[in-house]
Amino acid sequence: MHRAPTHNALCAFSPIPILQFGQININPYFPVRSMKQVISMSTKISFVLDGKIASIDFNREKRYTPTTTVLNYLRSLPNHKGTKEGCAEGDCGACTVVLGELGHDRKIHYKAVDSCLVFLPMLHGKQLITIENLKSPDDTLHPVQQAMVDTHGSQCGFCTPGVVMSLFALYKSAIKPTRLNIEEALSGNLCRCTGYVPIIEAAEKACVKKKKDHFSGNEKTVSKLLQKIKRNSLSLKTGNQNYFCPKSVNESLQLRKKYPNTLIICGATDIALRVTKNYEKLPEIIDLSFISALQGISHKKNSTEIMAGTTLSEIKRYANNRFLALHKMLTVFGSDQIRNLATIGGNIATASPIGDIAPLLMAYHAKIVLVSKKKKRRLAIEDFITGYRKTACRKNELISAVIIPHPKKDTQIKFYKFSKRKDLDISTVSGGFYLELAKENKVKSIKLAFGGMALFTRRAYKTEKFLEGFEWSFKKVEQAGTILEKEFRPISDARAGAEGRILAAQNLLLKFWSETRVD
Amino acid sequence: MNKFISHESAVKHVTGESVYVDDIPVDERLLTGHVVYSNHAHARIKSFDLTAAKKLPGVHAVLCFKDIPGENQMGPVIRDEPCLAEKEVNFIGQAIFLIAGESEEICRQAEQKIKINYEVQPTILTIDESIKAKNLLGPERKINCGNIEIALKECDQVIIGEFNTGAQEHWYLETQACLCLPGEKNEIMAFSSTQHPTETQTLIAEVLGILRNEVVVEVRRMGGAFGGKETQANHTACWAALLCQATGQPVKIRLFRDDDQKMTGKRHPFLIKYKAGFSNQGILSALKFELNSNGGAVADLSFAIMERAMFHVDNAYYIPNLSVIGKVWKTNLPPNTALRGFGAPQAIVAIENIIDRIARVLNRDAATIRKNNFYGIKTRNKSHYGQEVERNHLHTLYNKITRSSQYWKRRSDINQFNKEHNFIKKGIALSPVKFGISFTTSFLNQAGALVHIYQDGSVLVNHGGTEMGQGLHTKILQIAAAEFGVSPDRIKISATNTSKVPNTSATAASTGSDLNGMAVKNAIDTIKNRLAGFVSAQFQKENKLKVVNPKQILFKDNFIIHKDLPKLRVSFDEVVKSAYLAQISMSATGYYRTPHLNWDKEIGSGRPFNYYAFGMAVSEVMLDVLTGYHKILRTDILHDVGDSINPHIDIGQIQGGFIQGLGWCTTEECKWDKEGHLLNHSPDTYKIPAVSDIPEDFRVELLQNKPNPNAIRKSKAVGEPPLMLAISVWLAIKDAISAIFDHKKEPILPVPATNENILLSIKNLRQ
Repeated sequence: MHRAPTHNALCAFSPIPILQFGQININPYFPVRSMKQVISMSTKISFVLDGKIASIDFNREKRYTPTTTVLNYLRSLPNHKGTKEGCAEGDCGACTVVLGELGHDRKIHYKAVDSCLVFLPMLHGKQLITIENLKSPDDTLHPVQQAMVDTHGSQCGFCTPGVVMSLFALYKSAIKPTRLNIEEALSGNLCRCTGYVPIIEAAEKACVKKKKDHFSGNEKTVSKLLQKIKRNSLSLKTGNQNYFCPKSVNESLQLRKKYPNTLIICGATDIALRVTKNYEKLPEIIDLSFISALQGISHKKNSTEIMAGTTLSEIKRYANNRFLALHKMLTVFGSDQIRNLATIGGNIATASPIGDIAPLLMAYHAKIVLVSKKKKRRLAIEDFITGYRKTACRKNELISAVIIPHPKKDTQIKFYKFSKRKDLDISTVSGGFYLELAKENKVKSIKLAFGGMALFTRRAYKTEKFLEGFEWSFKKVEQAGTILEKEFRPISDARAGAEGRILAAQNLLLKFWSETRVD
Repeated sequence: MNKFISHESAVKHVTGESVYVDDIPVDERLLTGHVVYSNHAHARIKSFDLTAAKKLPGVHAVLCFKDIPGENQMGPVIRDEPCLAEKEVNFIGQAIFLIAGESEEICRQAEQKIKINYEVQPTILTIDESIKAKNLLGPERKINCGNIEIALKECDQVIIGEFNTGAQEHWYLETQACLCLPGEKNEIMAFSSTQHPTETQTLIAEVLGILRNEVVVEVRRMGGAFGGKETQANHTACWAALLCQATGQPVKIRLFRDDDQKMTGKRHPFLIKYKAGFSNQGILSALKFELNSNGGAVADLSFAIMERAMFHVDNAYYIPNLSVIGKVWKTNLPPNTALRGFGAPQAIVAIENIIDRIARVLNRDAATIRKNNFYGIKTRNKSHYGQEVERNHLHTLYNKITRSSQYWKRRSDINQFNKEHNFIKKGIALSPVKFGISFTTSFLNQAGALVHIYQDGSVLVNHGGTEMGQGLHTKILQIAAAEFGVSPDRIKISATNTSKVPNTSATAASTGSDLNGMAVKNAIDTIKNRLAGFVSAQFQKENKLKVVNPKQILFKDNFIIHKDLPKLRVSFDEVVKSAYLAQISMSATGYYRTPHLNWDKEIGSGRPFNYYAFGMAVSEVMLDVLTGYHKILRTDILHDVGDSINPHIDIGQIQGGFIQGLGWCTTEECKWDKEGHLLNHSPDTYKIPAVSDIPEDFRVELLQNKPNPNAIRKSKAVGEPPLMLAISVWLAIKDAISAIFDHKKEPILPVPATNENILLSIKNLRQ
């Protein structure tokens, strides 16, 4: 299905200016550490729930495995039935919970996630906040809860806990939300009863003028609890399943060598579906989401380096006003709950035929950095994706970063998406386009990358060639559509028919023209 | 009456404390129930082997049809639906075996060990295929008025066409679920997420081969239903009950989302063929309809749904010569079923499309054509099935909404905008709804209630209606508070329970508060009469009055008062205490049946509806011609709910119903592959509207000062009618497409108008 394996991780760092990563990690791939640390791995996870540290030792607690989802864990507890399962694939948000993570600024940062997509180890070192935790100890409703009552924001009530948790995350965020922010915060929550009107009203009522809540009052206590939890590597072996959470790239490469068939995850919003929908066991997993060296964005002279484990939420925040097409793409990619988990490395590693990120990275002339024990190599994204869900990443390598060259002046990069619904919908067809015009409105260079049109995301080389050197005109672009039609043989599936896909791809190209034409 | 109270469960909803079936605490003996269903749309089951599955540790029961002690049947009206398949499967998702195990995982392992030997048979999936195979599910139905053939010959112009509407999945957030607890001997207690507890009870009793007095069905609330739990909640309940009886342990079945979408029926796809005759002034004089629906493998409610579709082909328009034939086609799909609107949306979008076409043929604005064809007040006011359209608010609504929405100004602004833009077009449309309220199966229009006052003055109200989010319990609570003259916090509405109120109808057809509200009032009247008699005697005695007529006793503000001597008053609590000591019963049942209904199916004439609900909408869209994306810039709705019992709840129903209708009209699409597998079986590919899909500017108002004398507290039903107002969006999209060609070409656009269908429609017009 959609999305990206990703890491959930350390958005502990999200509020910190991104440049710090570059400064801290002179050599982020091989932090100096003794390998003995790998051996002293922990077999249990700890997190804060209901104001206390909760621990799960997978060797003792047979009800859970490392790939038990947080949703199923919560529903197995007697007092956390408020979190609901609506779809078990991150599309409805009824299971939304909020994770509190300790930042470098010693503050707790709150992020909404779909608990059906989060494996238990991803909770390690974090605070898990559920709908049951929102009322004050004196039974007063949280402002977002009260607003939902006041605006008649619930009807059947089944989506409501998830909606309230999304509103809570919005409440705890730094922003004073506009209608657009509110829609973004709620795009991962489906409600079938209300038509959303009163929910938006509740968000406006509660989140525009925020007051301190009991979470602000408790923050120090919770921080202390979180600090008590040791952030060492995790090696969770249950007999049937090995789940590793290494803390460095080096450690990960070692593990990869030892377990060559291990599934690598970093966010796991896609891989989680193999558990929740296909009931797969996933015997060996390396979860990269705890490696801080794999997180962060650094601005270089001619390019920007995005570490592979950076969440899409962080990238979206960073891209705003910097990489417009990237920002636009990420606003219609998944939902807040998904973007808070999903990572860029995870996404491109899936080599999904549809992916929105890959076609756009092609338009950006992006490079993928692969790292092994011995060397580091860079591949153009086109060369990185080699087939249907296949990449050039070797068994001794990991994706460490994506490098986006800064677009030259007078070039245009745009992203277009054709999907049934605007938000939280996988593209039927997506297009990442690049254009450089020479004098007299002639096409100097063009890249047309499509998702959803073939077995993997790829460029329309013949169409590009047809356009290169010619006038950038409606007529020529319309003619290019006939080349495009021959260049792809899309399938008919649940999302659209082949004819519709071709038509959409042709029209996206026309749209690109209409938005870049020189009159 | 306090009209502005919150949903009675609002605080529980926002705190996560509201309990749904899957949240009910059960002891550790609880087993997970699992349904093994067919993976073939049509096949003979030659043999099967359950031995290995039964042997698996942790498995407590594996059942097949032979293990059903009662009748292997769960059809709600026509008894044509096996509970577990016997020799044949007729759709993908049809239940064949049931497993009870100690965990979900064990059940799935057991399923892997079941061997089934199928002989695959040819399948029929679409209406067209079924028509070719002459595969009717039952006899066709007809309603006629006037003389259609003569009228078609005599009118100025005739248009002919075909129109398709797609399936819609209910997408209740809470999937089908039932928990069964064993009692003594045959007893069984079922906590079911059902709209129809009585039918669930009936079918459980029948499959188990026990009497209905052994079965109790209880519904606290549902996490949404929308018609999807009117009949098809019974299935999950029957399966859970079978496993519960077989194991003697509690069993819960909660369908996974994908299984729920694959196994259960949808809104019926329709193929509508029409011939419409009209004058050069745009007045409709003749309409000939053939409605074909895809019924799926068994009847379910398909015939009642077809009947409602046939009743609504006129929508808001007087058509003197009308003939409609309804045919329900059998296919190898899950039985299609009730979904908010119950056949009316398909019929209404068809007639609205016809009006739209007529407007384009005559180069007139469609709103004018609509208005000119509305039912009249004193003349032109009889429907094609002979019922007079009483208290017709269509003209009032039209006058008000065209003004408040500035329809005509915006129409000319849009025309100007469209002249100036090539790749972006705007469209606007007005659409009305007239919706008949009542079950069209007349005997279903009955309800019961049971009301208790306890000695502390608190009141418990039981009624036969179920809460699915629509606010029924809140309205009932308000009605009870108003009737007793006490504050709402005194009243509690109990979970719906078949042992409290028996023989109820489904909470459906938008009739929940009409029927149950009246039944509750009836019970309260009984108790009030007793108390009034008691209090009047006391007043008489204590104040040495000659006579106090119980009719002079008022229940108001938590007091019981002498109407003419207001100083004579005693608190409700005190009366309750002393009435108990005086040995007066403070518990009563109530009952209601809708009066004056008659409907003769054979001659196709009568008065099937208690009254009509009216509404009107104006929607404006902006369409990206290249991508098919559309944004709803503004929607105005003016809707008639009589005297609203709770305006917040009614507006919530209108907004929510509209958005659900919007999904049906735009993004919600079901596709099946050639073998009959549903392709859109999860929200990954089945797209209901999300928060950013609603109109940018959404104005909903209730029509004021139009009390409805035919229902409780002069209110009107509101559950279904607003759904059809979303047709205004579909029409506005069509208007925007038409604008590409300067309104000279007729766009062929199906429901749903997905962006793919929009692009294809534009492409076809260009060729």
